[in-house]
Amino acid sequence: MRAVPRHVACVMDGNGRWAQRRSLPRTAGHRAAETTVIDIIEAARAAGVEWLSLYAFSTENWNRPGSEVDYLMRLVRRVVRKHAPLLLARGIRCRFLGVADPRIPRELTRDFEDLATLTADSRGMTLTVAFDHGGRRDIVEAARSLIRSGTPAEEVTEQLFADHLPFPDTPDVDLVIRTSGEQRISNFMLWQVAYAEWVFPEALWPDFRAPDFLACLHTYRRRDRRFGGVPPQTNGDPS
Amino acid sequence: MTTGSSTTTGDTPLFDAESQFGTFFDDPRWALALIRATVLEAAHPQVGAALADNSAFVAHPWRRLRNTFLSMRRMFDADPAVREREAARLNRLHARMSGSDARGRAYDAMDRATRAWVVATLFEGAVTMCRLGGQPLDQDTMERMYAEYRAFLAALDGDAGELPEDVNDFWRYFDRVVEEELENTEAVRIILYRLFDHLPAPALLAGAPTLWAAGRAVVGPLLGAITVASLPEPYRRRAGLPEMPGAPTLMQGAYFAAGLTRFLPEGWINAETIIEALFLSPDSDDPRARTVTVLHARMKRASALLRLLTPLGDDTDPDPANATGEGRRSAKEFFHQVLDQTGDGHLDWPDLAAMARELATRLDLDEPEETRLYDAFAAWWRELQAALDTDGDGRVSADEYAAAVPSLAGPALIRVAEVLFDATDKDGSGAIDADEHRTLFRTAFHRDLATTHSTYGRSAFVGDFLSFMSGRRTNTPYDPLLADA
Repeated sequence: MRAVPRHVACVMDGNGRWAQRRSLPRTAGHRAAETTVIDIIEAARAAGVEWLSLYAFSTENWNRPGSEVDYLMRLVRRVVRKHAPLLLARGIRCRFLGVADPRIPRELTRDFEDLATLTADSRGMTLTVAFDHGGRRDIVEAARSLIRSGTPAEEVTEQLFADHLPFPDTPDVDLVIRTSGEQRISNFMLWQVAYAEWVFPEALWPDFRAPDFLACLHTYRRRDRRFGGVPPQTNGDPS
Repeated sequence: MTTGSSTTTGDTPLFDAESQFGTFFDDPRWALALIRATVLEAAHPQVGAALADNSAFVAHPWRRLRNTFLSMRRMFDADPAVREREAARLNRLHARMSGSDARGRAYDAMDRATRAWVVATLFEGAVTMCRLGGQPLDQDTMERMYAEYRAFLAALDGDAGELPEDVNDFWRYFDRVVEEELENTEAVRIILYRLFDHLPAPALLAGAPTLWAAGRAVVGPLLGAITVASLPEPYRRRAGLPEMPGAPTLMQGAYFAAGLTRFLPEGWINAETIIEALFLSPDSDDPRARTVTVLHARMKRASALLRLLTPLGDDTDPDPANATGEGRRSAKEFFHQVLDQTGDGHLDWPDLAAMARELATRLDLDEPEETRLYDAFAAWWRELQAALDTDGDGRVSADEYAAAVPSLAGPALIRVAEVLFDATDKDGSGAIDADEHRTLFRTAFHRDLATTHSTYGRSAFVGDFLSFMSGRRTNTPYDPLLADA
C-alpha cells in the first residue's frame, strides 16, 4: 500500500440535496455542512495529511439566488470567526484561494485576512479554502503574471508557470474527494489536479464523516498511481 | 509639547548635568507633568491662540514630541554654541507665529510675558509633580531649580525680567495669572477632550490599529481625568471642568506609581531610547528594525485574533479608506494625512508653515536658507489659495481640495521642490548623497535608487516630491516625514 496522500482536496457537494430530502430550505444544508468541515479537518490532521483543500464557493456559485449567496456569506463569516481560535490552537495554517470578487463583503475578506495572518506561522497542516475560486481564472492570472514579468516564450516551463499560480508552494493534489456521487471537476484547481486520484462517495456532504473520509484515504492507498508513465517523484513540490 | 514655545522651554539648565532639570529628564512623572503644563500654557489666551492656529500637535503629536525632545536636548547641551544656535532657531521659529484668535485679539509668540508664563508652567509643573508624588522638594532645591528656569528664559529672551526674582514672589505671580488670565480656551478643550481620544498611533504601533484603538479607549479618558484633577482648583472652577469622584485619588495614585520607578536601577528608563523607539518602523534601516518587524508581525496577529474574537454586530468598518490601497491614496486621505498639518479640517497658511518648520528642523537650516524655504512655501500657499479657494473664505476645505486636485502641481510647488533640494544638498554638489538623504529622511536610500546611482539627482528629487505632493503616491520616504503622526 502506498503512503497517506500528502494533499487531499474535497469538493463539498450535496448540501442542497441534503436539505431538500428533509424538506428544509437549502440554507439548512449549508449550515449542516459546518459540522462536517470541522470533522474532516480533524480527521485529515489526525491521519497525517499535510495539505487539505476545501472547495467552498466557486466563481460559478455567484449564479445562485441572491438570498442564498447572502446567507452563505454570513454563514462563512460566522464559521470562520467561531473556529479561528481552535484552528490556531490546533496549529493549522489557513489560507483562502480566490477571494477576488468585489461582491464579497469587506468584513468577510477582512476576516479571511485576519485568520490567514493569525495562523501564518502554524505548521501542523495547511488548510486551503477555495472561496470564489475558479481553476481557469487562476491559470489566466498566472499567464498574465508571466507576461508581465517579461519571460521569453521559450523559457516558460511547467515549473515556471506553476510558480506564478496563487500560493505556488501548494503541492499537486493527490486525492480529490467529491461527495454526493457527482462526477465532475467543476473548474476546481485545474492545474493542481492534473495527476490526482478521484473518489466519488455517495454520501452527501452534511452526512460525510471522519470514517467516510478514512475510507476514501484507504481507497487511495490501494490504487496504483502511474502518472501516465511519469516517475512518481513529480508528485508535488519537492520543497 | 505645545507651541514651539514650550518646546523650547522644556528644559532648562543650560548649565551642568547635575542641574535639577537633569534629574527629571528620565522621570516618568515628567510625562504627566508635561501634559499638565501644556494644558496650563494652552489656557493662556495668547498661547492658546497660537497653539490652535499653528501647532501640528493634534495631527502629528509624536513628531512634535520628538522635536520638542531634541530641542530640549540641544538647549541642555554642554557646548554653549549649540545652545545659542538652538535658542536663535527657536526665536526665529516663534517670530513666524503671530495672528489673532477667534475673538480678534492679537497674539504673538514672541510676547515676553507670554513666554515667561510658559517657563513658569514648566517650573511649577516640576514642583507640583514632586508634591503630588508625595516627595516634595525642599526649599533649597526649589530655589536652585527656579534659578535654572530663569536662566533658561534669559537664554531665550535676553533677560528673565518677566519672572519674579524670588521663588516666594513667583507663587504670587503664578496664582494671579491662574486666577485672572487663564481661560477655557479652544486649545485646552482640544488637548483634554480631543487629543487623547483621537491620538494617532506612533510609527512603531501603526501596524496594529485595533490594538492601539483598544488601548487608547482605556488610557485616553484616564489621562484626561488625571490631568483635569491635577490642575489648580481656581482654574478648574473658572473653566468649568468636571469634578469626578475618585479622580483626585486616581491622579495622586498615578503620580505616586510613576514616582516608584525611581527604585529601578539607573538607566532603565531613558526618555531618549523610548522616544526613538516609538519612531522605528519596520522598513527603516536601523538594526533594531528587524526586531520591530518581528514585533509588528506579533502585534498584527494579536490584532487579527482580537478582531476575530470580537462578537459580530458592528459590521461597519472604521476606515474604509484603506480600501484604496495600491500605493495611492484618495484626495481626502492625502488632505488629512499630509496637507492639514494642524488637524483643524482646513488647509491654510499655518499648515504649510508647519511643513516648512518640520523640513527646516530636520535639515537644521540656518538663515538665509530657512527664509528661502518659508518663502517658497508661502508662494505655494498663494498659488493654492488662488487655485483652490473657490468660496473665498481664505482657506481651503477638504471638498475644495478634492474638486481641484489636478491643478496642484503648479510652478510654485516645483519651486518648493527646488528650494528643498538646494537646502538638502548641503555641499552644493548638485546631487544628494547618502548622508544628505539620511538627514532629510532619516533613512538610507531605497533599493530602487541605489541600483542606478549612489546619489539622488535634482530632477529625480523634484519628480518624487511632486509625485508625493500631487500624485499622492504613498510609500515614499516623504511619508514618515510629513504623513506619520
